[in-house]
Amino acid sequence: MPDFDGINIGDEMPVLRKEPLDQIWLVKYAGASGDFNPLHYMEEVGRAAGHGGVIAHGMLIMGFMGQAVTDWIPNRCLKSFRVRFVRMTRLGDAITVTGRITGKKVTGGRGVISGEVEAADQNGEVKAAGTFEAWIPLG
Amino acid sequence: MKNKADLAGKKLPAYSFAVERGKIREFAAAIGDMKEIYLNPERAALAGYPDVVAPPTFGTVINLWGGMGFIEMCDYLNLDKVRVLHGGQEYEYLGDIVAGDVITVATTVSSCEEKRNMYVLTLESSYVNQRNEEVLRCRHIVLELK
Repeated sequence: MPDFDGINIGDEMPVLRKEPLDQIWLVKYAGASGDFNPLHYMEEVGRAAGHGGVIAHGMLIMGFMGQAVTDWIPNRCLKSFRVRFVRMTRLGDAITVTGRITGKKVTGGRGVISGEVEAADQNGEVKAAGTFEAWIPLG
Repeated sequence: MKNKADLAGKKLPAYSFAVERGKIREFAAAIGDMKEIYLNPERAALAGYPDVVAPPTFGTVINLWGGMGFIEMCDYLNLDKVRVLHGGQEYEYLGDIVAGDVITVATTVSSCEEKRNMYVLTLESSYVNQRNEEVLRCRHIVLELK
């Protein structure tokens, strides 16, 4: 990543493109995270809840967003990360994560940048939107 | 559902979770984020970590494997699990979480608001390691549709 002076408001994060989600993704995420809400793996439960089938874990989508942010900024620099889940992600959806820098400042002799990050599907429909802040060493 | 306002201020039982290399690897693989610092202790050491480090959303693993599962949490908070959705999640990173750590979590329902078509609960958690250092704070926004 660039140093503090090289980061400018409006800079775009490298885009992260994930493969279309199939049931294996949801089963693996359920086991790894411990989120066994049946909405995520039982078709009839998803349908009865009015979702038309299974839906992906919101936290899986946030995981993709965290991957995109830390592909660009070292993990240790991350100061905060906040996400709102906007729409359901369904089987077959291919998530793309984009983001950009929205602010930079120096506080207490340390650089802090802020950014926004979005996860959208193959049709550009936003599934989750969030913000992050990161400590960036001054040059 | 009546008496939801009483949920504000309610504490969930505290719990501890031992962070293991294998769980970090499993979680990284489930997201498809195979950074070496999550998988390889030598590479993590080169990056200045004492062991492999947890990805940014690993707090959810600590919650769900260390504390109550989703269904238990719904029962404890008197929520109808079929109507529950995850509204959002916020993390504030205060330190590293690495394999070998034992993390103790305290969670409180900080607010419960009634909206037109749903209840919005905010659960705030503080994660403290075995050296009594607070390493993570989390706000978990739970929606229960009416």
